[in-house]
Amino acid sequence: MSKTVPLKTEFIKGLWKENPVIASLLGLCPTLAVTNAAMNGLAMGLATTFVLVMSSLMISALRKVIPHQVRIAGFIVIIATFVTVADRFLAAFFPEISATLGPYIPLIVVNCLILGRQEAFSSRNGIGRSLVDSFGMGLGFIFVLVALGSVREVLGSGSIFGITVMGDWFNPWMIMILPPGAFLTLGLMIALANWYNDWRATS
Amino acid sequence: MSNLSLSTRMILVLTLITVLSGGILAGWDMYTKPKVAYHRLQALKAAIGHVLPDHGMYESQETETGTLYFGKTDSLAESPVGVAFMAIGSGFQGEVRIMVGLTPDLMKLTGIKVLEQIETPGLGTKIVVDPSNKQDPFWFPKQFEGIVVSPEIVVLKNAKPSANNEVQGITGATISSKAIARIINDKIKAVQKTLSSTEGRES
Amino acid sequence: MSYFLLFFSAAIVNNFVLSYFLGICPFVGVSKKVSSAVSMGMAVTFVMLITAVVTWLIYHLLLVPFEVEILEYVSFILVIASLVQLVEMFIRKVSKPLYDTLGIYLPLITTNCAILGLALFSVLRDYGFIESVVFGLGAGAGFTLALVIMAGIREELELAPVPKYFQGAGITMIVAGALALAFMGFAGMI
Repeated sequence: MSKTVPLKTEFIKGLWKENPVIASLLGLCPTLAVTNAAMNGLAMGLATTFVLVMSSLMISALRKVIPHQVRIAGFIVIIATFVTVADRFLAAFFPEISATLGPYIPLIVVNCLILGRQEAFSSRNGIGRSLVDSFGMGLGFIFVLVALGSVREVLGSGSIFGITVMGDWFNPWMIMILPPGAFLTLGLMIALANWYNDWRATS
Repeated sequence: MSNLSLSTRMILVLTLITVLSGGILAGWDMYTKPKVAYHRLQALKAAIGHVLPDHGMYESQETETGTLYFGKTDSLAESPVGVAFMAIGSGFQGEVRIMVGLTPDLMKLTGIKVLEQIETPGLGTKIVVDPSNKQDPFWFPKQFEGIVVSPEIVVLKNAKPSANNEVQGITGATISSKAIARIINDKIKAVQKTLSSTEGRES
Repeated sequence: MSYFLLFFSAAIVNNFVLSYFLGICPFVGVSKKVSSAVSMGMAVTFVMLITAVVTWLIYHLLLVPFEVEILEYVSFILVIASLVQLVEMFIRKVSKPLYDTLGIYLPLITTNCAILGLALFSVLRDYGFIESVVFGLGAGAGFTLALVIMAGIREELELAPVPKYFQGAGITMIVAGALALAFMGFAGMI
């Protein structure tokens, strides 16, 4: 990795240009599953970011120590440990959120985003850089989850973060809270992102 | 570090990581376990309180059909005010968990509370709460209070209940409504069977 | 629940991909050709079957008796990673052409949420041993089904005029949405 890339760039890239969901299609399972409400998307995004940052910290610190051949096994154990910590944390202090997000929190373990980041970046860069990269990616992930969650919640329940925004005249589009709505919204979002990138490039 | 053979290094590092992981998790487990158990207990108490409103405390009894909670006004009371238990079964979309309360003679329902379900939002979810019914959003579960359970609870589609073991189903969510009745009926029969076979041994 | 209903539920009514969003990565990545979709589906089903057995044994014979359920995620993912490694070596020895077809996608089965999801659901719903196995088979069958249908549609899409910004991931998601909608019709069958 080039040491001349400024830290600010490392951070920003995760937000849009290399956004884990929109640009790389990583972490789709939780993205589609928990974004039926904005709050759920936010909670999942925060939990994932926690695991990403903590694992990056540990793996970057141990990067010169872990032999190449067993790195994946090592990464996985570290990631799974922090996922367990996050899962238990929610169960102990935020039981309602834990119940809503259910089995999707432990599935953070197999979120390609995290393993991908460790393999591509944290295992090859210093702690400082790795933390910046992780925070950027995590924030980008949260951004997509909250955006997706908000759209689905507004159209599907008439509210956002639990606050009703649509009046009685609005008949909620049930489909938005169900699986088909998730796929459709994400598809449209990706198309929109493609259009936007194209427009930026040509203007 | 570098004069150890590769195999030794691999085993050493993996062991180190696993021990670290085990340590973190063991400590976290000790810290969070009581909190998680506390939340679970609170949820259980709330559910029992909902279906057995007159009880002051409850005694649990393990049976072959699961745990039975006998509500009493206080610990010195001779006879229970009712018995509560979990009824679990398949709804329309997935598993439904219901807390059911029966009168001491096991003939009438004191109340039900749907604890977990993943029914169709806006339709099947009316078994929990129906926001479209402005007079009483909880009309569906409330119907079950005082219902006679023999020969069995019957859900009517598009007809007003006339007998004392009939309840009205949710328009557009007949399967969810009937599933609730089926799950409760099955469990009541099992509980009645268990308790009648232990009669005579009860103090 | 009867074993047939359990299988049917996992494969069709509550399809792992279209209802629970598990296994989306390979769903989007591998489903370009029907033949590779079938191979992938079978490999995943095979891994799911063994995972169901091994994780059940580990959870009920090791974690529960020693009260270390907190090690559930760590132990499960280690089991899955090792199993995939073993399956990879096995396939390479037994059928080199199959190994070449599946290529990079074999190791990726480790991060397939469907496999871990299967193990987690089994524990969550307190399935017995046989129930876990049946559940695993059903989940694998459902995953394969969704993958194959998707591949069939995408093969046709290659020849269709897809709008520019929807090409690739965009249209795949839309098609998945239509599929999920179709599968919703199965709800309430059991």
